[in-house]
Amino acid sequence: MSEADPVILRPDLGDAGVAPSIDRPALPLGPEGLDRHTRRDLLKEEMAIAREFHGGRMWPYAVAAFGCFAVWLSFFPLGIMGQINLGLAFVLSCIFATGGYVTSHEAMHSNIGRPGEKTRWLNEAVGAVSTIPIVFPFSMARMMHLEHHYHCNDPVKDPDYTDEAPNALMAWYKTWYNRQPGVDGSIHHYKRILAEMGTPEAARALKETMLLQLVFMAVLFTMAWSGYAIEAALIWWLPRHIGLSYIRFYLSWAPHHPREGKTARYEQANIFKSRLGHVLSMGMETHLIHHLYPGIPNHRTRQAYLALKPILEKRGVDVSAI
Amino acid sequence: MQAAVKGLFHWMPLLFGIGFIAPLIAQVMVRFDVVPPLGITPLAFGLLVGAPWGLVTVIRGRWL
Repeated sequence: MSEADPVILRPDLGDAGVAPSIDRPALPLGPEGLDRHTRRDLLKEEMAIAREFHGGRMWPYAVAAFGCFAVWLSFFPLGIMGQINLGLAFVLSCIFATGGYVTSHEAMHSNIGRPGEKTRWLNEAVGAVSTIPIVFPFSMARMMHLEHHYHCNDPVKDPDYTDEAPNALMAWYKTWYNRQPGVDGSIHHYKRILAEMGTPEAARALKETMLLQLVFMAVLFTMAWSGYAIEAALIWWLPRHIGLSYIRFYLSWAPHHPREGKTARYEQANIFKSRLGHVLSMGMETHLIHHLYPGIPNHRTRQAYLALKPILEKRGVDVSAI
Repeated sequence: MQAAVKGLFHWMPLLFGIGFIAPLIAQVMVRFDVVPPLGITPLAFGLLVGAPWGLVTVIRGRWL
């Protein structure tokens, strides 16, 4: 009898008594080659480590959000009165527009104050002011971002899937292309998803989005026809576009590319090395940690990643970049 | 109301061309001492560029 021939253990059972000729593990293995007991133990260990990085001081996010918003607002009268260097105001406005998403993002996950906590109002206020420079109301931002987490990398249900592009250059182009009025990308895609949701929250988010966009247009038109078009362009219009492109590239494309088929827990985002570094890529190099544990604040994801790295490696995550 | 807002957003590129692009072009020309052709004013030149550009965007769905 050769090694490949089946071994009949119980002739009375017919085919059911045939032992497999090829050896198989006693417990089914996951895609990373771990049996379910190992996977469970690793998950427990992972959760225990992750718990250490939840929470922490969140007031700097609130200070940054309100401080930057106040300074940005002051640029309008200062610009109109000619009391500020417009080049400086432009650069700072770009930084505020982009960075505002980071503070708003913490609020989207209720990391500044959970429902029922004393700091809940602060959470909501931080979220509300942070994304005004990019004309993206908090209600819509939160709903769409949570949908992104629920259906990460799903081509139909992930609202951010339209950011996918084959390479970095195309990704930058797509950040602009998706904002074109006739293209179903970014905010247009969001509006369509909200309309399809049909919930009262979605209707409210849709209404707030339209309202904020109308206010934005009204401010631009009024300033422009009053002789301050350059000021309006440098303080709001251009920083908004630059901020949105930067956010789309670093917060959506870079950590999730390639998206196709990457819907499992440990493959929803990548660990990558950014040319601009950890801070300028807004902590996105270790974005996988955020998807695994959204309660870990942005400034602690890198530390959390380093602590979780051995476990992630066992899970089959490519941790070679950092 | 909803239909009116939807209509407003449909025509927004044209309004943007007139309401923002046109005065922006005019003010940039004045700032950099650029004289518009055929003796027209900077604002008229801005409108000649901004309004058709916005209208084309409404039709094509893209600014460029």
